[in-house]
Amino acid sequence: MSARELSKDPLNVIIAGVGGQGNVLMSFLIGSALVRSGYFVTVFDNYGASQRLGAVASHIKISREGANASPLLHEGDADVIVGMEPIELLRNLIRFGNPEVIAIVNTRPVYPIGVISGEVDYPELNKAIETIRRLSAQSWIMNATEEALRLGNPIYANVILLGALLGSNTLPLDKETMEGVLKEELPKVFDTNMVALHRGMDLVRETMNK
Amino acid sequence: MMDNASKELYEEVIESGLCTLCGGCTGFCPYFVIHEGRIVRLHQCKITGGQCYQYCPRTPTDMNAISRHIFGIPYGEYEIGIAKEVFLARSTDPEIHQKAQDGGVVTSLLSVALTEGMIDGAVETKLDDEKVPHGFIARNREELLECARVSYEPSPVLEAINHLPKENSEKFGFVGLPCHVASLSKMKVSPPTNRANIENVKLAIGLFCGWTLSHGFHQFLQERFNLSKAIKFDIPHHPAHSFDVYTKSETQSVDLDEITPFINKACSYCIDMTAEFADISVGSGRTMFKGWNTVIIRTKAGAEMLEVAKSRRAIETQPIPAESLKNLKRASLSKKKRSLQNIISMTGGVDDLLYLGISQNLISKLLE
Amino acid sequence: MSNIEIDAPGTTQLLLGNEAIARGALEAGIGFATAYPGTPSSEIMATLAPIAKKMGIYAEWSINEMVAFEAASAASLSNIRALSSMKANGVNVITDFLVNLQMTGIKKGLVLVVCDDPGGMTSSNEQDTRPIAKWLNIPLLEPSTAQECKDMTKWAFELSEELGMVCMVRSVTYLSHTRGNVRFGRLPEETKKAHFADFYDIDDPQQSKYTCGMQFHPYKQSEVLLKRFSKAQGHCEGSPFNSYNGPNTPDLIIFTSGICWTYATEAVKILNLQDRVGIVKLGTTWPLPEEFVTRHLERSNKVLFIEEISPLVEQSVMELAASLPADRPRPTFYGKRSGHVRAWGEQDLNLVIQSIATVMGTSYRSRQSSNAEYQSTLKEVAKTLPARPLTFCPGCAHRASFWAIKIALQLDGRNGFVTGDIGCTAMGMISPGSFQVRTYYAMGGGVGIANGFGHLNQFGFSQPVIAVCGDSTFFHASIPGLINGVWNKSNFTLTILDNSATAMTGFQPHPGTGITATGETGKKVSIEAICRSLGVSVQVCDPFDLTDTVNTLLKVMRNEGNATVVILRRECELVRARRERKKPYKMYVDSSRCIGEECGCNRICTRVFSCPGLVWDRDAGKAVIDEAVCEGCGLCAEVCPQGAILKEAL
Repeated sequence: MSARELSKDPLNVIIAGVGGQGNVLMSFLIGSALVRSGYFVTVFDNYGASQRLGAVASHIKISREGANASPLLHEGDADVIVGMEPIELLRNLIRFGNPEVIAIVNTRPVYPIGVISGEVDYPELNKAIETIRRLSAQSWIMNATEEALRLGNPIYANVILLGALLGSNTLPLDKETMEGVLKEELPKVFDTNMVALHRGMDLVRETMNK
Repeated sequence: MMDNASKELYEEVIESGLCTLCGGCTGFCPYFVIHEGRIVRLHQCKITGGQCYQYCPRTPTDMNAISRHIFGIPYGEYEIGIAKEVFLARSTDPEIHQKAQDGGVVTSLLSVALTEGMIDGAVETKLDDEKVPHGFIARNREELLECARVSYEPSPVLEAINHLPKENSEKFGFVGLPCHVASLSKMKVSPPTNRANIENVKLAIGLFCGWTLSHGFHQFLQERFNLSKAIKFDIPHHPAHSFDVYTKSETQSVDLDEITPFINKACSYCIDMTAEFADISVGSGRTMFKGWNTVIIRTKAGAEMLEVAKSRRAIETQPIPAESLKNLKRASLSKKKRSLQNIISMTGGVDDLLYLGISQNLISKLLE
Repeated sequence: MSNIEIDAPGTTQLLLGNEAIARGALEAGIGFATAYPGTPSSEIMATLAPIAKKMGIYAEWSINEMVAFEAASAASLSNIRALSSMKANGVNVITDFLVNLQMTGIKKGLVLVVCDDPGGMTSSNEQDTRPIAKWLNIPLLEPSTAQECKDMTKWAFELSEELGMVCMVRSVTYLSHTRGNVRFGRLPEETKKAHFADFYDIDDPQQSKYTCGMQFHPYKQSEVLLKRFSKAQGHCEGSPFNSYNGPNTPDLIIFTSGICWTYATEAVKILNLQDRVGIVKLGTTWPLPEEFVTRHLERSNKVLFIEEISPLVEQSVMELAASLPADRPRPTFYGKRSGHVRAWGEQDLNLVIQSIATVMGTSYRSRQSSNAEYQSTLKEVAKTLPARPLTFCPGCAHRASFWAIKIALQLDGRNGFVTGDIGCTAMGMISPGSFQVRTYYAMGGGVGIANGFGHLNQFGFSQPVIAVCGDSTFFHASIPGLINGVWNKSNFTLTILDNSATAMTGFQPHPGTGITATGETGKKVSIEAICRSLGVSVQVCDPFDLTDTVNTLLKVMRNEGNATVVILRRECELVRARRERKKPYKMYVDSSRCIGEECGCNRICTRVFSCPGLVWDRDAGKAVIDEAVCEGCGLCAEVCPQGAILKEAL
């Protein structure tokens, strides 16, 4: 199995989103693919209480050396952050971001209950995107949800982002291994997932930012 | 004061014991409800400048402004308010007479108004199966008759009109106690913005009122009488000293002394016995004229209604004897004086008269 | 997802710590597994139950941890290896039985798996259960990685059998819910035969080994227990789960265990202190492997304890150090006592880096903090981000229940209040539940404390008390409290929010659902029947029928001097949605009728009622339904005072 080299060891990835967007599954798929490629992987899904609309972030540490990794990243230690929701990407940038971080963002907002009930403001989206650009070394901004709706279900946004992650070449993951995992774990929706995966990879090519 | 709303209303009026349960704050609002004779706040409302505070008859009320709006002159020293005409009257309709409290004048007037298309409905009080009063819009004769009798408990009449949305363009008659009429008048002076146009209330009929009886009284009634059989309540005038409960077959009585402990304390701060801001005020004919009503016509609208009713022969009238009128005026003035004294006792001085916005002159006159 | 039942030694899978524990139990050849749902332990049984039949195991969600553990011990006494898993609070509940069981001993391996929650992310407190092992003489094993979760669980059964004692494997959230590489071992092949050898023998009658009676005094049994436990040390001394990593004579020795070992290891690497700091990993935390510890204590005169919550290792090692010969140099100890390690909350890499850096006299700048401008920008951004607090799901019956309870208590007007309990109902404490829950402690605590409040009338107490619990909680712990209230005539109303689900922990079945852990049809137990059998007033309402619910509550609150029951029954929305796959109503807002911020509304639907499906559109000044989130339950239509929220049956 061909495996690219790790750009650093450990390589730290965060997949952030809102409960119900499927990022736990996504990080499991990434982790499984990496284990198959011979890496030691530590994946921690960090959620307060697992609930729809709660903030969720999965921390993935990838290493060649061994499984001694602590589950949660420490301050400023993220190498890649994938945000399935813009505020969650910002939230994780604040704790784990640094000037070299790479960001991949889905621009579709999911409003917290405070915003929904009119008590607090949701930050202005364009400003938030601009901030993400400014606070990362390289960023890919996309409306993955819109793309996913074209495929028939907003949940495909996570596979599109997975494709984007693949296409960004930041992880030592190859497409074949990822496809193999997708086929095994989600056989019923394999074909649509493939379309989504490739769409994500294309989007990265299309929206090279820096 | 412009910023006052539910919190201030609750503290200044309800917790202070001034609330007469007129229903002016409930109805349109999901935050206040009436339950078992009390105003209950269900949730916290954060609005500043609320209509609940604005239209409550027991928040600061500029009597002069209201009087100017309705009569064109400031609030004066008239014992029974502005009175174009005062006379006795009763319904000519035997059915109305039979089902009414005294003379059936209110029901007759409204019945004519409905028939003539002057109004689409009458905002009244209706008793439910447990004889608890609620605001109700009567839209035909049968419904008017159902509302024909008095309950001595406070009725949230204003709820019936307060809940109507802006789109409602029906014309209404209105029957209420002086506090209901006062709230209605405050609405006429500064009309509510997001509910039914208050000018649609074409005719306000006020009932004479000395006091109402609290929820404890309702429980007393439930214990002493079979309320489901009751068809009428009455407190006959002097020299009687009783509270009467009529069923189809008989009349039961309790001594008035058993009832007086239930008098609503809030009523002791009210200076308006005859509903001075109504178009027409109606009271009982008192002992001498049992089966008749005392009627006061105050405004042009009231006078017009009287004309129509007379022309349809719906009511018959007779002059009020001088002695009766004198007694009425004396009773009304006496309530004003007593209530003013009660207010001053509560606040500690004439500088703070709670809700009462009247002229210094009038204060001095009443304190003589 | 994970496939832990495969018989393929040498394969590697990415497993959750909890899944690895389950795999370890399989590799140990267990025949019996019991549990009660409790985050972060629930995945252990959730992994075992679906494959139990296939693997020839009996697996059960028990009604509470007490029965779970008791049942597991039966298997152990009958020659079947057994596992019982629970969260920290569950151990509190089994302690009485555990004390006595440990005194009398067990036969085949019995392993108690405890998953603690430092930081209390999903618990009412952040209890560290480890000291109980020291208190009750239970060998305590703390895995540090997913691989160790498997390996140590397997070994725990062997150790348990060697000693004839219950052994405890202790995990935490950050281990149970972390996935790591796990290399599988082999699955044993053996037929299991259950037999309780200690039955009454007519030819040789004697008191059972498993009782602690008057003939065989408990204090004598204590002596036996201590002797038995002393053998544990020997087994732990050479354990491969205890290790040292570092230079021969480091400037600093770190003693650590469990997940903290990963923090310490990584922190030392990040600080680049591998040449100066050595790390002692304890896998067998209790009994302390004294020779092993003493050996490493001698390496340095500076010792730092990296440990979460309870200073168990810190105190045990210091105790040991104090007992060493007087001529031994006394190291300087750093830890909770000295204030170098926080005594509350979970540890994390940031904190551990700080602790080590402070003791070593170095400083650390992260990739973030070394760039002041970057970090200050982050601080500014942080101020603008809205939080994502908990709420009831759209369509949740509890939203309706607490709404009705609030209205009933306000109408009643006697300053009544709700005593709460554990589960989704606990969110009655916060805004979505209208802040109604005013006391909240432990399973069954709601009805328990209500018993007391209900007997204070002789001191002038006149506030109505509503004890709230869920259906699962009712079975778990509230029944004795209810019976006590009925029997002693306490004045409260037990309101059971029956949504036919143990929802908070992930929809495990319970007696009210009639399905067992392995998906079979058990016997359905009726909450209503249990309550009615007590001869007290039992009302059943649909919380979505707000008027009926409010009126019922008002009526029973006047029922002085008697415990009463109100069951608010409506299926959990997530369960219903999953099954029916369609919404009951299409909801929409007639914006011409919506008066929003104006007097007469003040956004009661979004601001007070607050459902995620109802959105306040600030620009339009109107409420709007978010179709992607709305479950179509129709309740908000009743809340709108203008009738602006409309529903269309689908």
